[in-house]
Amino acid sequence: MSVLETVLIFVGVPAAVVAVVTGLVYASGSRRGRRYRPGRPFEFTPVWFLSSQAQASGVDHSAGEDRRAVTGTAERAALPARTPAGEDGPEPAVAAAPHGATGGASDRW
Amino acid sequence: MTAGELDQAGPKQSGPVTGSHGSVTGHSEVLDGPFTTRQLLRLDEALRLADRSTSLTFSVYVGELDEPVRAHAEKLHGQLADPDRSVLLAVSPNQRLLEIVTGAEARKRLPDRDAKLAALSMAAAFGGGDLAGGIVTGVAQLADHAGRR
Repeated sequence: MSVLETVLIFVGVPAAVVAVVTGLVYASGSRRGRRYRPGRPFEFTPVWFLSSQAQASGVDHSAGEDRRAVTGTAERAALPARTPAGEDGPEPAVAAAPHGATGGASDRW
Repeated sequence: MTAGELDQAGPKQSGPVTGSHGSVTGHSEVLDGPFTTRQLLRLDEALRLADRSTSLTFSVYVGELDEPVRAHAEKLHGQLADPDRSVLLAVSPNQRLLEIVTGAEARKRLPDRDAKLAALSMAAAFGGGDLAGGIVTGVAQLADHAGRR
């Protein structure tokens, strides 16, 4: 085995393998760093999930075409606007207590 | 699963797909979110199972909550189609806090103690950085406690 062959096999092949693995890691890692990490800022658009009624009633569609997004919009923008309107409006009591007493829990991490 | 993208673009009321106010758009915004497609599917499955088994409406909000946090979460809960029979899990990763809001009817089947228990296990998962896992666990646990109906 000549010196050239030796170098190709023992240096070239491992180098090629390393290059391929590195390439694979970076190619598939486009979403890396986009996940949530505690203590790091979380800069994603607020998102609100609900189970869709069609699926809740047991209709089994393929997940891909059934996933719909709703721009829920307006909830945040509407909130500050709604409060003064409720106070000035004819139904302040309704605005103050739109539904029955709520319960639940809070936690921090 | 129906996912709501909240923006500050101004109020626009449109066809309620799920009873909540919102316009239907593509789901690309959701896919740009913090969750992978697989996590979204798990979340979808968890919400669907929870809704079907309890006949309550479970919904999950992930995003900033304004101060006072509890009041904001309750307002969001009030915007659901049937707040009394709804359970809202509001998670704010930036503020590192979560709120579980149960409506009057839902509260009878889901006492605050059970909600707190679910909140604890969710917070434990979130503390480890597992946002989707914590939500799925929380929804499943709440649905389990609420029982079949």
